[in-house]
Amino acid sequence: MLSVTSKEKGLMVTINRQKRQGLISVLIMFMLCFLVLVVSGCSSSGVKHFMRPGADVSSVSKVAVLPFDNHTSDIYAGEKVRGIVIIELLSRGMEVVEPGEVNRALIKLKIRSLARASREDYKSIAEELEIDGMITGSVETYGISRGISVSYPEVSIGLSLIGSGNGSVLWSTWHTGGGADFWTRHFGVEGRTLDQASRDVVGEAFEPLFSQMKKGTMLLIDDSK
Amino acid sequence: MILKKKYFLSFILLTLLTVSGCRSGGLPTYYISEDIDFGFYKKVAVMPLDNLTKEKYAGEIVKQVVISELLASGLLDVMVPGEVMSAVNELGIKSVSAMNTSDINSLGTALGVEAVIMGSVEEYGEVKTGSFSTPQVTITLMMADTSTGSIVWSITKTRGGASFMARHFGARHETISETVLMLVREAIDTLSY
Repeated sequence: MLSVTSKEKGLMVTINRQKRQGLISVLIMFMLCFLVLVVSGCSSSGVKHFMRPGADVSSVSKVAVLPFDNHTSDIYAGEKVRGIVIIELLSRGMEVVEPGEVNRALIKLKIRSLARASREDYKSIAEELEIDGMITGSVETYGISRGISVSYPEVSIGLSLIGSGNGSVLWSTWHTGGGADFWTRHFGVEGRTLDQASRDVVGEAFEPLFSQMKKGTMLLIDDSK
Repeated sequence: MILKKKYFLSFILLTLLTVSGCRSGGLPTYYISEDIDFGFYKKVAVMPLDNLTKEKYAGEIVKQVVISELLASGLLDVMVPGEVMSAVNELGIKSVSAMNTSDINSLGTALGVEAVIMGSVEEYGEVKTGSFSTPQVTITLMMADTSTGSIVWSITKTRGGASFMARHFGARHETISETVLMLVREAIDTLSY
């Protein structure tokens, strides 16, 4: 039997204590990481969308953005978001008919309400404006909402691409954005403005459509080779 | 000493459980006709939803989300809303919420759809819980077969309120739009079961 001296015993106790302290530190770090992850709020930005099977959206190059339905208390929200949509489409290289031309065509065709527009109406608009498609939409939320401790911008929109050929929906999505981020909630950092939130929501909503258009164009290039 | 620690830990755990409030995930109450092959339904018309709330556009907002989510789910194709309203006017249907079997049949024939989706929004807005407000939305959706006029799917669902982490640690809570989106998505998911 090996005899353990008091010095060795003391050393073992010290090592055990160090081990325990190390374990506690790891546990505390783990708990802190977990808390930060939970408190920061893991919000998913996945935009769910509809793409008509077999629809060739890559051939759409000239569109008209029709007046948006406004379901908010801000009477100009529809026009504001429509403007942002036009800028977004232009910045992505799409040709957009001037809003004035669109309004003139709607008056000429005697289409008073787009909420009651039929497929025939959409075909007539497309013929009148000589376009490949129409963007229709609605604004469901546009404003500053009040959270538990902070206020934040909130924007929700619905967008659809109507084909000029048969007046049916080729692509559609509904997207929402805004809310207070981690830094605003906990450290009072200035959050996004309503305008910035609107631009972000419009940009994110169009992302799946343009990635599909890009894919379609790539396929066409491959075919021509 | 060890016993004291154990009591203390148990007390903390019990307090946490009590304070967290065992919020149910808003269990849906839904009916789905067992003897019907849902593959038969290809195209539906979404009717304007009854708005039973103080929010002026709640019905219209939820309707837009329902159309978008139905299309995005890939389960059903949806008629252009304007086309639906034109057909309702042409058929002289005065109240969408009081449609009878013959109205549903006529709509099906006029629009060429196999089913119509109707429903209502019962709650839409902020609900005050203690010192803060959180969004809460309740909807009812129904799908009626246009050839028989019978209800083949129906659901009532609520979503809202703040989670334990949001209430006590300031974690992010849903905006009202996110609540509507998730609520409609969960409701439509029951169609795919």
